[in-house]
Amino acid sequence: MSNPDQSHMKQDCENQRECMEMLQMIVDGEASSDQKDHFLKHHLEQCMPCYKNYHLEVAIRQLLKTKCTGQAPQELVDSIKAKVIQNLSD
Amino acid sequence: MELEEEAAPRQHYSDQEKENIFGNEFMPHINSMYNFGYRLTLDQDDSKDLVQDTYLKAYRFIDSFQKGTNAKAWLFRILKNSFINDYRKKSKEPLKVDYQEVETYYNSEEVDRQITPDLRVEALKDMIGDEISNALNALDVDFRTVIILCDLEGFKYDEMAKILDIPIGTVRSRLHRARNLLKEKLSEYAKQMGYKTA
Repeated sequence: MSNPDQSHMKQDCENQRECMEMLQMIVDGEASSDQKDHFLKHHLEQCMPCYKNYHLEVAIRQLLKTKCTGQAPQELVDSIKAKVIQNLSD
Repeated sequence: MELEEEAAPRQHYSDQEKENIFGNEFMPHINSMYNFGYRLTLDQDDSKDLVQDTYLKAYRFIDSFQKGTNAKAWLFRILKNSFINDYRKKSKEPLKVDYQEVETYYNSEEVDRQITPDLRVEALKDMIGDEISNALNALDVDFRTVIILCDLEGFKYDEMAKILDIPIGTVRSRLHRARNLLKEKLSEYAKQMGYKTA
């Protein structure tokens, strides 16, 4: 899937909206294995817009995961623990 | 309290059990919870308050939690409800737009045609700063929320439906819109960075 022969690919997708929905379900882990197989093996390799969209969706998720997550401040963790322990001893 | 409906059979945990559940099932989600709180409030102090309130509520209502069920989803639901019920009310800044209005607008075919997926993977690779974070934060809170739950936290559609109290179909359509809007913002950054997106 990484390097399909682009010269044989369709440059337009007639079902772009439906494909986009399927593609997102696949990336979200919500598609059945049949749906996934069919789309990834039969459609993606032949359809340039869907091929690009798929890789874009994957790249956006990776970027979100690396750039938009962080750690809770230690003071917050300590404060919550202290308050709960206090509650337990009440 | 919004947790009651989830409270299938009410548990009667001992103090030791409560401590174990809190420490082993609730606290491991603190980073995700803080991140969710921060992305909702966009303020570090507010998010600390929100997360602390949520954890104390979770402790207070721990008997409505069934050991071994999805603690993360349970906690996220409390945080989301606290945000809507407490934080938004307290907030000086009223909710700017009526959500229904936004959803109707973004569900129109017009918008679908405008948003073309012309963003390139190469442009994303050069976004090594805060671009994606800013793009996410700039989304309306309801759109931001579904991206956080799905893409950052890996919740399934049915779990998101329960956390947000909306039907699965709405989860899917909202996610679809949210991603288009995020791509639109990222395309703007890409253009500013000199990428041709056409």
